[in-house]
Amino acid sequence: MLSKQLELLVALQDLDCMLKEVEEVKALGFEAPGKEDLEKAREELAKKIEPRLLSTYNRLRKHYKRAIAPVKDNKCLGCFMQLPTSLSVRGRRDDEVITCQGCGRILYWLD
Amino acid sequence: MERGELALYFHDELFLPEMKATNKEEALEELVDLFVKNHIIRNKEIVLEMLRKREALGSTGIGKGVAIPHGRTLAAPDVMIAFGRSTAGIEYDSMDGQPVHLFFMVLAPPHDRSNKYLPLLGKLVEFISEDQVRQQLLEAKDFQEVIDLIVGE
Ligand SMILES: [Zn+2]
Repeated sequence: MLSKQLELLVALQDLDCMLKEVEEVKALGFEAPGKEDLEKAREELAKKIEPRLLSTYNRLRKHYKRAIAPVKDNKCLGCFMQLPTSLSVRGRRDDEVITCQGCGRILYWLD
Repeated sequence: MERGELALYFHDELFLPEMKATNKEEALEELVDLFVKNHIIRNKEIVLEMLRKREALGSTGIGKGVAIPHGRTLAAPDVMIAFGRSTAGIEYDSMDGQPVHLFFMVLAPPHDRSNKYLPLLGKLVEFISEDQVRQQLLEAKDFQEVIDLIVGE
């Protein structure tokens, strides 16, 4: 079970990606009868996220295609800004929501 | 996408010749564990959560003993396939109710620059639809035989 706010945000973005691609995946031969259930699950998931974070997520999503950017080699892959190395230990714990100083996106450490 | 190109997304370290899982949840976990052990995925729970949600949308057990659990997740650095087999077969809530012997877990980042994810899924579905291919994949002795089969040699 996911409990940390950052994990919930990533799960929300993954779910938003999935919901957007349902028709494409169906066209490949997969069945997808549970779309409405999944939309409900998305609402349930969103309720677990602090309202302030959720509004940040929604605001970023309007501005960029995706609100959360992966970090690799200490670089935000949203805007390619080099992040302070001091952030990486904190970032990898997944228990804090850190935003990029360059683009404002929420950060998720890939490696 | 050419059939041979499929082979680029398979990796020796992401091949499980005989899975231990006995049910769907364990099967998903065992395959995700491969990505974790090989330091491809850092946060296992995020990936499992996405895959469970995908199964809630509709079973990825497409029938004839094949499951293709798949999805995009921010936790995946690249488009990759983990391939696992179960001789005994695993109950998977498949479209045809049959147990699954061949598992292809396809993970992709939210956005892959070359846009390979959907064509890859399509190619995989097509490839696996041949009866002979499924049989040969079950019988392949090692990873190299799997790759030879895919590239058609
Ligand atoms: Zn940035």
